[in-house]
Amino acid sequence: MERVFKSGNEAAAYAAKQINYHLMGYYPITPSTQVAENIDLMVSEGVCDTVLIAAEGEHSAAGVCYGASAGGGRVINATSANGLLYALEQLPVQSGTRLPMVMNVACRAVSGPLSIKGDHSDIMYALNCGWIILFANNAMEVYDFNIIALRLAEKVRLPVIVAYDGFFTSHQKRVIDVLEDDKVRKFVGEYKAHVTALDPDKPVTIGSYMNEPDLMNNKYQLNLAMEEGAEELKALFREYADLSGRSYMPVEGYCCEDAEVILFILGSSFDTACEAVDRLRSRGKKVGVVCSHCLRPCFGKELGDVVRNAKVIVAADRQDSYGAHGGNMSMELKAILKDNEINAKVITRVYGLGGLELYPEDAEKMLMSAFEGNVKPFEYYGVYRGRTGEDKREYFESVTEKNALKEYTGNIKNSTLMPRRLQAGHGACPGCGIPINVNLLLKGIEGNVVLLFHTGCGMVVTTSYPKTAFTVNYVHNLFQNGAATLSGLVEMCHERIRRGELADRDITFIMVSGDGGLDIGLGSALGAAFRNHHMIIFEYDNGGYMNTGYQLSYSTPMGAKSATSHVGKDRFGKSFFHKDNPQIFAAAGIPYVATCAESNPGDFIRKAAKAQHYAKERGLAYLKAISACPLNWNDNPRYERSVIDAAVKCCYHPLYEVEESVTRLNYDPDAKGERIAVGDWFKMMGRTKHLTLDKYSHILEKVQNDVDRRWERLKAMSESKIL
Amino acid sequence: MFEIRLESIGGLGANLAGKLLGEAAACHMGLNAQSFAEYGSEKRGSPVKAYVRFASFQEPMRISSPVRNPDLLGIFSMGVAGKENVTSGIKRDTGVVVNTSISPESTRERLKLPPCTLYTIDATSAAMELKTRVNMIMLGALCAAKKEVDLSCVKAAVRDSLGKKYPEMFESNLRGIDYGYNNALKYTVPDDGKYPCLEYKEVRRAWGWDNAPLGGVNPLFGSTVTNRLDSSREGYIPIFNKDKCINCGLCDTACPDMVFQFAEGEYKGKTSPVNLGIDYYHCKGCLRCVEVCPTDALEPGKESDFNVKEHNMGCIHLLDKSFTFDNVGADGIVTGESTVRSEER
Repeated sequence: MERVFKSGNEAAAYAAKQINYHLMGYYPITPSTQVAENIDLMVSEGVCDTVLIAAEGEHSAAGVCYGASAGGGRVINATSANGLLYALEQLPVQSGTRLPMVMNVACRAVSGPLSIKGDHSDIMYALNCGWIILFANNAMEVYDFNIIALRLAEKVRLPVIVAYDGFFTSHQKRVIDVLEDDKVRKFVGEYKAHVTALDPDKPVTIGSYMNEPDLMNNKYQLNLAMEEGAEELKALFREYADLSGRSYMPVEGYCCEDAEVILFILGSSFDTACEAVDRLRSRGKKVGVVCSHCLRPCFGKELGDVVRNAKVIVAADRQDSYGAHGGNMSMELKAILKDNEINAKVITRVYGLGGLELYPEDAEKMLMSAFEGNVKPFEYYGVYRGRTGEDKREYFESVTEKNALKEYTGNIKNSTLMPRRLQAGHGACPGCGIPINVNLLLKGIEGNVVLLFHTGCGMVVTTSYPKTAFTVNYVHNLFQNGAATLSGLVEMCHERIRRGELADRDITFIMVSGDGGLDIGLGSALGAAFRNHHMIIFEYDNGGYMNTGYQLSYSTPMGAKSATSHVGKDRFGKSFFHKDNPQIFAAAGIPYVATCAESNPGDFIRKAAKAQHYAKERGLAYLKAISACPLNWNDNPRYERSVIDAAVKCCYHPLYEVEESVTRLNYDPDAKGERIAVGDWFKMMGRTKHLTLDKYSHILEKVQNDVDRRWERLKAMSESKIL
Repeated sequence: MFEIRLESIGGLGANLAGKLLGEAAACHMGLNAQSFAEYGSEKRGSPVKAYVRFASFQEPMRISSPVRNPDLLGIFSMGVAGKENVTSGIKRDTGVVVNTSISPESTRERLKLPPCTLYTIDATSAAMELKTRVNMIMLGALCAAKKEVDLSCVKAAVRDSLGKKYPEMFESNLRGIDYGYNNALKYTVPDDGKYPCLEYKEVRRAWGWDNAPLGGVNPLFGSTVTNRLDSSREGYIPIFNKDKCINCGLCDTACPDMVFQFAEGEYKGKTSPVNLGIDYYHCKGCLRCVEVCPTDALEPGKESDFNVKEHNMGCIHLLDKSFTFDNVGADGIVTGESTVRSEER
């Protein structure tokens, strides 16, 4: 046994390393991302050899895992919040076809409004998916349950979720005692899959077409597996206790035997509540606390046995099943009490949404409220009414056709007078490229604008409640759906104008995406492009998922370091080439595609104006700027313009436009004698500097060749009248 | 239970210092420990809070919420003075360690400290001189302030986690820790009733369930202008020399914070957009503008050598200037230490 100091996410990754999973399919989402990051780090150091596949979204990540598990190997995933919901469709597929795997869920509030903090609103959606759901209260349990989960999954042939509190458990470092690698490997044993699609001698069909009467039987089998899982979990807890000295029960109570009032609460809050119980016990109050370590299968009898003597049970839910007067655990508790003929009264407190802290005093108050007469059976704990008398201020004039004039859009000098649609006071890092690029775009656009931002740094730093940096109408939607959302808004505008409900004022609709938003959101964006709505899609490409701590995106340069493409003895950084969104959008046949860069601001503003013209007259315009991220590119904010200039001059980000499918270069560094090597750009950034070392010359050469190939193609197209 | 709170702005390594203190306790002092940071604020220049708890293994480690009444409080930057909860929860026996170049007495006044034991150290200058980082000097000073934080164990934690990763920095890091340990100035803040102890408060906003617009819709357009961001600066600012300005507007294409105040005016006898100056409330000091200015109208300067107040244009387009600024700094969403981003930058 070794004593280490690790967070919940690190503990999950450490267990995964010891198990040495064959494959991890994942998509980064806060607060679960560090599981994949830490496994990637260990792979790069050569201590485990799990294949990591960064899918383009959680739905695909779940698909990658499903396919991999059909191959008969061990598979792991990790997600949170909307990632879990996006993957949700795949969860019953995994369980219904009985392919085991393990998924960590660092529980977080579900959008919207977007919150990244911890609560249980995501995990409760998974209750009906046919997955076993273990719930760990702290980092030690995250580690232990990850090891137990795999055995359980393979034994009963069901996938297993290990859930734990986002941030409180996922990010807090605690002392944990880890087992030796060989002990873990012995405990989990060799995996012999019952089913594999990889044995040509024994062909199987996985995923039959099945209706009545067969589906009933199939689901009954799943139900039986859950029942078996309940027994198996208890047996595994016993076996694991012998191995580790740490014994668990599916339901854990503290001071419940003689308690008059018991708090039923999940996760890290259970430990906090134990502290509250000690404090109240010292004042003579007969109170206790109980939690469940397994949400599915449900251990109703065990829970009933622990709370049998209580008069009142306070069910504290970190989510709500809105309109049901309680969260899911509250409602289950009530059913369990009925089933077990227990007459205790249940009062529900919805608490801690969006990461609101629970202090021991809060748990004390919840428990003490049960001793009061006339207590409300259902309440939100921690809400407040607000201060009245706050006046509605207007800080600026709204930016409309009255003040955003065409004469400001012509050149750099005049554009200084364009009123700001994005105002000062946002929280971007010093030197961030995002506001610069958004401003350059908006300098070229006259009149009314409606903005839609995908999730990302650009959205988070501008609209942190209760303030907003925008002075025009603004909508946020998640990565997958920004373009679809804006399509709907554009068409509603046209229809309401047609019906005479809105004055016929020109409005330019612009979607702003970056931080890899056009990886997960590419399908939706292309859908909008194919439908050719009158709108602009603007991509600030900072080459990574910067808002979640810089994981690789598909436009991260090959070889670049990121939190999911480490450089180590066995790895050189990102393993595949950057994708070419402008060419993808050009292939969609939209009327205008252009690339721009802050190093050529006049060209940038001109293209913005052109995009507005096309969006008004012809349909969808796509514009892409390369956008500096000093924090994660690891360079000095002061010199970012020269870094962007180098990206243009090395033809990694060539400046061109595709108008009505005809390509034209706007800047040819060859012709001007200003061309530089890709390595000259790479050496300016900490994320790629290593590639200029001799030992990575083969990688740099590959990138240079790919950039050259794309550039030569572009030049050839620009020389043609029809391409 | 021994509780530590570290207050800082991003980039000074407070988060890493918290982690190292936790590791020192867990891996070298034989104690149970916990360490975590206030998330959503790890970007350069943004406020950071880090928390550490130590206890013997007999005492259960149950609480995962912030440290409200620290036994040891580390303030890594005077830039956080006056911000929410920075000096809250100080007890009489709290050790308060502050990175500052001013005297302990003046530090006490600036921070409005209630009775406690104050230790001051000029960690910023020392870090530069010893080629180490502010957090190393602060770690040494924190050890000097409370015997519960064992100097040799902190050094061992630094050796184990940073020594392997950055061996070339190891010796200077150790020198930094020793410097902090030996040079912190101790000052007992007298019980003169001058400043009361502030209670730790959970944030409450004006908008609650009864008056917040439904759905989180925010009608206060442009309201981030009430944030001031000067605490994000790292000592440097652009200085505007109007005589040399040709009003080309390039600075305005390079500024992420919209600080340049252009208005219709006259230049060389013609109507022209004219640069009136800089809004220093919102300038984060990145100095990008200095690099794009084709004349020397914008030059880098030390903030301490310049009368910012006198030259601050503010935002000239505001309709209503009657608000008070919230002193926030950048507010990133970075969610915990990255496995790739080096704290050593």
